[in-house]
Amino acid sequence: MMKKQKTMTIATRVNAKTPKAIFCALMVGLILISGCDKSPATQNSPSKSMGNMLSSASSKESSNSDNEMSFAPVIQGYRFEFPRDHLAHNDFRQEWWYLTANLTTEQGERLGAQWTQFRVALKSANSNIENESTWASQQLYFAHSALTSSNDHLAHEKWSRHHSEFADVQASPYQIHLDNWTWKSENTTLFPAILSVENEDFSYQLKLDSQAPLQYQGDNGYSVKSRDGKVASYYYSQPFIDISGKITRHGKVERVTGKGWLDREWSSQFLTKNQQGWDWFALRLNDGSALMLFQLRDDLPHESQGNKNAPISAFYSARRMFSDGTGRNINSTDQPNGIQMTPLDWHHTVNGDYPVSWQVKIPSENIDLTISPLNSNSAMPLSTPYWEGPVQLSGSHTGVGYMELTGY
Amino acid sequence: MTRALETQQMVKTTVKKQALINGILRRIRLGLQLFLAHYRHAPLQAGATLLGIALAVTLLIGVKATNDNAIRSYSEATELLSQRADVLLTAPIGQDTLDESVYFALRQAGLSQSLAVVNGRVAGKNGQFWQIEGSDLVAALTLQKSQASKDLESGASIQDLPLAALLSGEPVVVMGQGLAQKIAPYGELALEQMTLKVIAIDDKFGLGSAILADISLAQKLLNLKGQLSYIALFSERDRLPALKSQLDSLDITPQKASFNQQDQGQALMALTRSFHLNLNAMSMLAFVVGLFIAYNGVRYSLMKRQKLLVQLLQQGMERSVVMAALMIELVLLVVVGSCLGFIIGLQLSHWLQPMVAMTLEQMYGAHLLPGIWQWTWLFEAIALTLVAALAACLPLYLDLTRQSLAQGANRYQQTQAHRKTHSKQFIFACILLSLAALLFPFSQSYDVSLVLLGIVTIAIPLLLPLLLHWGVSILQPFARQGLWQYLLAETRELIAPLSLAMMAILLALSANVSMNTLVGSFEQTLRGWLETRLHADLYIRPPSHRIEAIQTQLANDPRVSGLYQQWQIDAQLNLNTSNNTSSKQTVAVNLLSRDDYSVRYTSALKESLPTLWQSYFEQPYLLVSEPLAIKYHLQLGDSVALDVLDKTGKSNNNKLIIGGIYYDHGNTRNEVIISQSLWQKAQLPLQPISLAASFYGKNQAKISDTELDKLEAQLAQELELSRAQIYSQAKIKTQAIAMFKRTFSITLVLNSLTLIVAAIGLFSACLMLTQARQAPLARLYALGVSRRALRIMVFVQMLIVVLITCLLALPTGALLGYLLINKITLQAFGWTIDMIWDWLAYGNAILIALITCTLAVLLPLYWQTRKPLVASLQQETL
Repeated sequence: MMKKQKTMTIATRVNAKTPKAIFCALMVGLILISGCDKSPATQNSPSKSMGNMLSSASSKESSNSDNEMSFAPVIQGYRFEFPRDHLAHNDFRQEWWYLTANLTTEQGERLGAQWTQFRVALKSANSNIENESTWASQQLYFAHSALTSSNDHLAHEKWSRHHSEFADVQASPYQIHLDNWTWKSENTTLFPAILSVENEDFSYQLKLDSQAPLQYQGDNGYSVKSRDGKVASYYYSQPFIDISGKITRHGKVERVTGKGWLDREWSSQFLTKNQQGWDWFALRLNDGSALMLFQLRDDLPHESQGNKNAPISAFYSARRMFSDGTGRNINSTDQPNGIQMTPLDWHHTVNGDYPVSWQVKIPSENIDLTISPLNSNSAMPLSTPYWEGPVQLSGSHTGVGYMELTGY
Repeated sequence: MTRALETQQMVKTTVKKQALINGILRRIRLGLQLFLAHYRHAPLQAGATLLGIALAVTLLIGVKATNDNAIRSYSEATELLSQRADVLLTAPIGQDTLDESVYFALRQAGLSQSLAVVNGRVAGKNGQFWQIEGSDLVAALTLQKSQASKDLESGASIQDLPLAALLSGEPVVVMGQGLAQKIAPYGELALEQMTLKVIAIDDKFGLGSAILADISLAQKLLNLKGQLSYIALFSERDRLPALKSQLDSLDITPQKASFNQQDQGQALMALTRSFHLNLNAMSMLAFVVGLFIAYNGVRYSLMKRQKLLVQLLQQGMERSVVMAALMIELVLLVVVGSCLGFIIGLQLSHWLQPMVAMTLEQMYGAHLLPGIWQWTWLFEAIALTLVAALAACLPLYLDLTRQSLAQGANRYQQTQAHRKTHSKQFIFACILLSLAALLFPFSQSYDVSLVLLGIVTIAIPLLLPLLLHWGVSILQPFARQGLWQYLLAETRELIAPLSLAMMAILLALSANVSMNTLVGSFEQTLRGWLETRLHADLYIRPPSHRIEAIQTQLANDPRVSGLYQQWQIDAQLNLNTSNNTSSKQTVAVNLLSRDDYSVRYTSALKESLPTLWQSYFEQPYLLVSEPLAIKYHLQLGDSVALDVLDKTGKSNNNKLIIGGIYYDHGNTRNEVIISQSLWQKAQLPLQPISLAASFYGKNQAKISDTELDKLEAQLAQELELSRAQIYSQAKIKTQAIAMFKRTFSITLVLNSLTLIVAAIGLFSACLMLTQARQAPLARLYALGVSRRALRIMVFVQMLIVVLITCLLALPTGALLGYLLINKITLQAFGWTIDMIWDWLAYGNAILIALITCTLAVLLPLYWQTRKPLVASLQQETL
C-alpha cells in the first residue's frame, strides 16, 4: 500500500483527470500544488516549477529507494512531550506551524491574518549527511503569509533550505523563522510570543497569548485522515489565542485585536491516492467553544466531472473544543452521517473556482451553520495555489473563523 | 454619343493593355520554361549558382547567429538557473571573498531576493582545472522579481534535479547536456580529491559551460568554508538607492562587501565588440567568396545560353521580356539558395557556438545562453544576397540582351573586350591600393582600419586577371614549339572564364595565409613574453586569510632562493588631469604592485622614459599596460591620477607620470602598476594577493623540472594548498598558450571554411571549364594527340593558373597579415605582435588549392573519355 502511494506520480494523474481536479499527492500545503498547476494563476506564477520540482524530487526519492520506509510512521498512542514536540520532527516527511487570526481594527474593520511555515524533508533524516557544511540539509522550509480584508487579499511566500541562520525552528527561546518572518516566544513554551511578518505591501506584528490547554485532535493527537484509517498525522491545536498588535497596509499602520488559532501537524503521508483535496475549517462559536472540521474529498467519479454540485464522497472529521481543554470528536468512520457539508456558493478566483460558502450540519452537536467568506477572492496565488481566508458564521451559532480549500 | 465612343475607346485600350500584359506574362513564362528546360539539361550550371549562394549565406548566417546569440547572452545574463542580478555584493577591496554572515544579515532583514554564490577553480584528475559555480540552489530556483517578469519560457523547471542529494552536499554537480557530453560522458567528473556525479540537464536552462553545484558542496570543494564569492541582489532599478541605504543600516559597509550595480551587459558588450567585429568581417569575407562562386555560375550559364538567348531575340521576343525572365530566374535562385544556406548556417552556428562560448569565457568571463534563431535573419540574408547578386549580374544581363543579333559575335573581339575589362580592373585595384596605403598611416581606430583592410581585400583579387596574363606572357618565350605553344596560347584564353574562381581562391588563400601568420606570430610573441614575465619557479595564490602565514613560511624555507609578491585592487584611473578638469575621463583599471625586483626585471617594457629605473622607486611613476595605453592614447610622460591615491590626503599631489608602457599579451583588461613605496604610502591593503618563489636546485644550481614537480606537490601538501592554488612556471606557460590558441580558434575555423568555399568555387569553375572545352580537346585528340598528353596539357594549364595565383597570394597574404597584426590586432586588443612568416601554413593552403584543381580537372577528363568522340566534337565551343 505504501509503495503504491509512493509510485503514484503526478504525471499519471494528469492523464487521468481534468487538470483542476487533479490532486497532487505528496504533501499538503506544499503539494496541493503541482498537478493543479494548470489553473490560470499558476501559469504565470514564476515558481510553479518549484512545486513541481519539490514534488518530483521527493517522489523520485521515494519511488526508487527504501527511503520512504525510513520516514518515521505515525502511530497510535504517541505521547506528546513539550517543548520537544513544538520543534521540527525531521524524521517525518512534512510538518507545519499554522496560525490564523480573526482581527478587528480600532475602526471596527474586520480582517484575517494567516502565517504558515512548512517543512518538507527531501530525504529521511536517517540517511546521514556526510557534508558537515552548515548549508548541507535535507530539510526544505517554505512559508506563506496573507492579510485579508473584505476588499483586499494580499499573500506572499518565502522559500529556503534549513539553515540555522535564516530558516529554522529553535528551542530556547522558542522561535520559528524564515528570513524576517518570525514567531518568537519569550521562553521555551509556545506563548507568550510575537509573530512578526514583513512584506512590501503589508506587515504585521502580533502579540500572541493563551491560557487554555492545548487541544489534541483525533485520538489524543492521532488524527486519522482516511476512511480505512491507514493514513494519519499527529495534530494538536491551540484554538484560543488572544491577539493584539499592529498591522501595516500599504505603509499605513493600524492597531488590531482579535483571536487566533494555531495548528501543529506532522506526518509522513497526508492523503491517499484516491483523495483529491480537502476543505478545512477553524471556527469559533459564540458560545465560547471552537470547532475544528475537515473533509478529505475523494476523487470525483468520471461521470460527474464538470458537475460541481455532484454529491461528494469524502472522509469527515471534527472536534468540538472547549477552553478547559475538553472536547468531543465526530468522524465519518464512527458516524457515517454525523457531519453533512454542502457547498452553497462557488466563486471564480485567479486560482480557479472554489466553493466559498458552505452549509455544515452536525446533528449530534446541534450545529447547523451557514459559512460565508469575508472576501470571496481569498485565493492564494502562490506556487501552491489554494484558497484561505476568514469566514463568518450564521445559523445555530454565530462567530468567525478561517477556511482553507485545496485541491480544486 | 462622344462619351459612349470614348468609353468604348477606353474599354478597347484597357482590353488591349490587358492583352498586352497577358502576352508579356505568357512570354516571360515561356522564357522561364525554356530556362528550366536548359537547366534540366545542364543541372551543373544552376547547381553552381545555388551552391555559391548557399555557401555565402551559410557562413553569413552561421556567424550572425553566433554573434547575435553572444550579444543576447550579455544583455540577458542571469544567475545560473535564476534571474538576472541587479546588484552584486562582492568581496571587499583587497580580499578574494566575503564572509557569508553578510548573506545571513540580508536574509534576516527580509532581503529574500538575494542569492549567495561561491565560485572558483578546482583541480581535476588529469591536471586540468574546472571552474565550479556554487549557489544557494533553493534561493536560485525560487527567486522571483517583484516586477512582473513572467516571461519564464526558459525558466528552470527543474524536474530532474535531485534536490535532496544536492542540498545535502553530496558530491553531485549539474551541467548542461552539451557540456556534460563533452567532459563527463560517463556521468562522472574526476577531481583530484574525489569523483563528482554529474547530472545533465537540458541546455535550454542556460547553464552554458558552467558546472553548477550547491553551495554546500562548492564551499567544501573550493576550500572556502564560510566564504562567498559574491551575493546577487534582485531589485528594481528605481529602488536601488533604497536598497543601498538599507545595506548601510544593516552595517554592510565597504569593509564587508563592495556594492556593484550591474550594467545589464553594457560593459561586456563594449569589451567584446572588437571580437564580434572580427567575426563579422570574416563572415563578410566568406560571403563575398561565396558570391564569387554564384556570380561565376550565373556568368557561365549565361555564356552557355548565349546562342539560345540570341535565338530568342531573333524570334522576336522583346529584350525586356528576356531580361525579366532572367531576373526572375535569378531571384528564384537567390531565394532557394538563401533558404538552403539558412538551414545549413543554423547548423553551422550550432557547431561554432561552443567554440565561441569557450573563447568568450576564457577572454572575457562571459557565459553564453543556448542559441536561438529568428526568421528575420533569413529575410536579411535573402535581401543582402539579392542586392549583391543583382548588382553583380545586372551588367551581364544588359550586355547579353544588348548584343548584336548577328549570329556568333567575333571570338577575338570578345577576348579583346575581356582584356580591356581586366586592364580597367587592374587600374581600379591600383587606385584602391594607393588609397589604402595613403590612409593607413592616419588610421587610429580599429573600425577605420577594418574598412581600409576591406578595401585592400577587394583590390587584391582585381589585380589578378591582368597579372595572370602577364605571367603567361612571361612563360611564352620559354615554350617549345607545337603543343606547348598551343597550351600557353589557350591558357590565355582560359584566364577570362577562370578569373572569377581564381579571384575567390586568391582572396581565400591570402586571408588564410594572413590569419595563419597572425596566429603563429601571436604564439611566438606570447611565448617570448611569458619567458620574460615569468621568472619564478612556482606561483602561489592562496586564499586571502592564509596568505600571511604562507608568506612567512616560505620566507623561512631554506629551499627558497627568492620570494616575490603581487598586490592588486580595483581602481579608477583619471586621465587628462593636466589641463582642463572639465572633461575628466575615468577608466576602471586593475591596479597592481609588485615587489621591486619583479617590476624591475619582469616587466616586458614596450617603451619607457630613459630615466625610468633610476627614479621609479622614488618618483610617482606608474607603468601602464599596452592595451590601456593604446585604447586611451596614453603617451610616456602623460600625467594621470588614481582615485585610490586620492584618499591618502595629499589631495593635490597625486599626479602620476607614465614612466613606461609594458606588453600585456592576452589580457584585455586595463592594468597599471605602481611601485611598492607608492602603494604603501596610499595605505592600500598590505596583504599580497599572490606569491611567487624561486628555489635552489641541487648544489645551489637552477632547479630542474623533475625536482620542481616533486617540490610543487610537496609544497602543496605542506602549505595545505589545492592544486588550483599553486602553479609551476611551465604549467602557466602551457595553459596560457593553450588558452590563447583557443582565442583564435574561431577565426581560424572560419578561415578554413572560407578556403573550403573557395576551393569548391575553383572546383566548380574548373569543372565547367573543362566541360566547355570538350570540343577543342576532342579535336586535338582527333588530330592525333594522345589522351595522356591531353590530360597533362589540361592539367598543366590549370596548374599554371593556380600557381601564379598562389604566387600572388604570398605577397598579398603577407600584406594582409601585416595589416592584421600591426593595425587590427594592435588597435582592437592592444597587443604588439612580432610578425613571423609561416611557410608551413602557406604550403598547406597551396596544397589544398592544387588538390582541388587536380580533382576538378581530372573528373571531367575522365567523363569525357567515356563519351563517344563525336558527342564531344559536337559540344558548343567556349
